[in-house]
Amino acid sequence: MTSEMEKKTAPALPRFRPNTDVLEREDGFHIFVDMPGVAKDGLSIDLRDNELEIRGKAVYPREENAKVLHVEFGDGEYVRTFTISDGVDREGIRASLKKGLLELFLPKAARFKPRRIEIQAG
Amino acid sequence: MVIDFSNYYDLPRNMDSFFEELWRPSTLSQRRISYPPVNISESEEEIVVMSEIPGMDTGDIELTLNEKSLVIRGTKKNEVGNYYRQERPTGSFQRIVNLNVSVRAEAIKASMKDGVLRVVLPKARESHPLTISIDAQ
Repeated sequence: MTSEMEKKTAPALPRFRPNTDVLEREDGFHIFVDMPGVAKDGLSIDLRDNELEIRGKAVYPREENAKVLHVEFGDGEYVRTFTISDGVDREGIRASLKKGLLELFLPKAARFKPRRIEIQAG
Repeated sequence: MVIDFSNYYDLPRNMDSFFEELWRPSTLSQRRISYPPVNISESEEEIVVMSEIPGMDTGDIELTLNEKSLVIRGTKKNEVGNYYRQERPTGSFQRIVNLNVSVRAEAIKASMKDGVLRVVLPKARESHPLTISIDAQ
């Protein structure tokens, strides 16, 4: 499968599919990806051909001298891939990571933008 | 539709995610049923509660300390636009963390970083472990 090589070389962090919202607004597509615990340097976004791959590592510092009572989340790597069509202006893709939420903005290519059609008076 | 999602038809990747589900780390106390997920740890001095609440402003999260419980409450807003896919939870949430010891309410500290809430609750003096010395006779 696709990532067998990586699995062998990198230490195994559990992989998660982050929860994602995809919305369309007039200016383009907005993708929101929940990535709690991921800082800017733990995030990578790659665009290869039509595939936009997002990877984010969340590594929590150990609480020292503390015993763990209850665990529902932990270290992990968020991985998600999106396929992008020609309708997106690739040069204009923007990403921002704030408060553990990644926001991707994919502007529509000019020819897909809604535009007003002039009516010729005859 | 302008964006396709490979997950709909990409069988190898579907299989990957299926196996990932199977090999989920067994260290997790429970599956993610309640929102938001919390981790609790305890040391001699304090109790630390961590919670993953991405994309929230600190002002929109309400922390309440009741007798023997900490309540995390808030509301996640919808984004504006035409949804193609919605997986992130929205609406109001509440999580109650039971505390088995009394804590010093005035010394509680809460902070938020990268969407992770961290609440440090120092234990009250009487719940610190106490070493009792035995007099030799």
